[in-house]
Amino acid sequence: MAMQLGKRYLCDTCGTEVLCNKPGGGGLTCCGHEMKLKEAKPLPSSD
Amino acid sequence: MNTLGFLAIPAEIVPDQEAVVTEGGRFTYAETLSRVRRLASALARLGVRPGTRVAVLHTNSHRYVEAYYAAAMLGAVFIPLNYRAKRPELEHMLRAGGVELVLVGARYLEHLDAVRGALPALRTVIGLDGPAGSLPAYEELVAEAAEHAGEAGVEDDDVTILMFTSGTTALPKGVMLTFGDFTAYVTANVELADGTPRGAALLCVPLYHIAGATNMMTTLWTGRRLVLMPQFEPRGWLDLVERERISHAFLVPTMLKQLLDQPDLERRDLSSLEILSYGGAAMPFPVIRRAIERFPKTVGFVNAFGQTETTSTLTLLGPEDHRLEGTAEEIERRTRRLTSIGRPLPDVEVRIADDDGHARGAGEVGEIWVRTPRVMKGYAGAGGSPLVADGWLPTRDMGWVDEDGYLYVAGRKDDMIIRGGENIAPAEVEAVLQSHPAVEEAAVVGVPDVEWGQRVAAFVVVRPGASLSPDALTDFCRERLASFKKPELVRFVTELPKNPMGKILRKDLRAELGAA
Repeated sequence: MAMQLGKRYLCDTCGTEVLCNKPGGGGLTCCGHEMKLKEAKPLPSSD
Repeated sequence: MNTLGFLAIPAEIVPDQEAVVTEGGRFTYAETLSRVRRLASALARLGVRPGTRVAVLHTNSHRYVEAYYAAAMLGAVFIPLNYRAKRPELEHMLRAGGVELVLVGARYLEHLDAVRGALPALRTVIGLDGPAGSLPAYEELVAEAAEHAGEAGVEDDDVTILMFTSGTTALPKGVMLTFGDFTAYVTANVELADGTPRGAALLCVPLYHIAGATNMMTTLWTGRRLVLMPQFEPRGWLDLVERERISHAFLVPTMLKQLLDQPDLERRDLSSLEILSYGGAAMPFPVIRRAIERFPKTVGFVNAFGQTETTSTLTLLGPEDHRLEGTAEEIERRTRRLTSIGRPLPDVEVRIADDDGHARGAGEVGEIWVRTPRVMKGYAGAGGSPLVADGWLPTRDMGWVDEDGYLYVAGRKDDMIIRGGENIAPAEVEAVLQSHPAVEEAAVVGVPDVEWGQRVAAFVVVRPGASLSPDALTDFCRERLASFKKPELVRFVTELPKNPMGKILRKDLRAELGAA
């Protein structure tokens, strides 16, 4: 799966998180598996 | 990661988008990053290295923001100083912080000069507002320097900001916050910029306050335009909301009250405002109640509760809890919840602890303990970890949790009143006082008493045009509180003593009663 700009990717096995600041066509693997897109929980505050 | 990334990463994604807007101009992400790189180069030439203590003494500006990121780029420790500090406090912060370089605004130069002689470590002073005598001027340094290329490699537990607390109970304490603390807060709680519209944030709280510092990071990281006010002033704030189409803003309670005092509030165009969050001090109930009535219904209010020691926000009371709609029962429940600080953020655990650290049940008052990956490294000069067993941080705030998991603050641990062995939370008595229609604001303190140990004293500000007698107010409390909690001394005052963030200075109130 191609990566998306500004999104975080998580490895379920070791807990590594990767941020994408420039996507190309490739995907990410870690611990032998494809890393999963992690949904953020945006603060509703001014932050 | 190095927190320079909060600027440098979005600068790769949205380089041409406006990042920072101030009285001094409008700057895109690419322009801001370029200025930061040139300032870093100039600072490196002046001897700034990883760990060097760099302070700023001025009101909010784009240069302030740039100075933080340049310091981070070099791995230096940034110390934002309270410009309202009295000279002994300023000297204390500069000395305790081991400050070697200060960037200072013209209006604070004399203040700095008065204490500089006692601070041999302070080698360099840079004028933020232009040349001043022999001082190098900020803009000249930036103009002459080449862009600094790399960034310092830092560890997550290296200190990036030494931030002094407001010191309502003692001299300001230096809180050591690390690159890892801010990385945890920012990346866990806001989305990185992706080119979609993210609105504009108006920052009017000082950058020396934790809410100002985190706002400077989250706003840029998420690709939201950061509009800076040098200092809050209600008319200017409303003008900026209209002109810059502000979508997000943070206020302390005193600021919100000043906005409500503006007679033309309803005629202002506040249609762009989506989120108005508040914190920094306890919000008087009448103020938030009136704000909900008077601001457009499209505004979502958020109560954000946190501490410098925890890298800002711990709990939130969200917009849905501020909508006083639904059945009479729902409205009553939500109205009661307006005195709550909401529920913990996803990366925060809360425990209400008894004196032995064991968890207490719903409705029981205890000390608020928190566990989160972004607890400070410690207080400067104190040594050791601030954490107790299993990674918990005692906050020194007392509180309780209701059946639905909403947290309520009962007051600072040191402010709790013990009358004849009964614990009394000032906030509980204040909430009752402030529910009286003639009361604008109230603060409760304990006064020493031979018979009971302490008695409850109340300082009350009466709403303009209203009248109230001490007996009437005491009777009102007697009907709503256990009898030992009712104020036995009521003093009417025109205003309550507060620090600049709006925190009530209870030590001043106790001093007024000869009980300091």
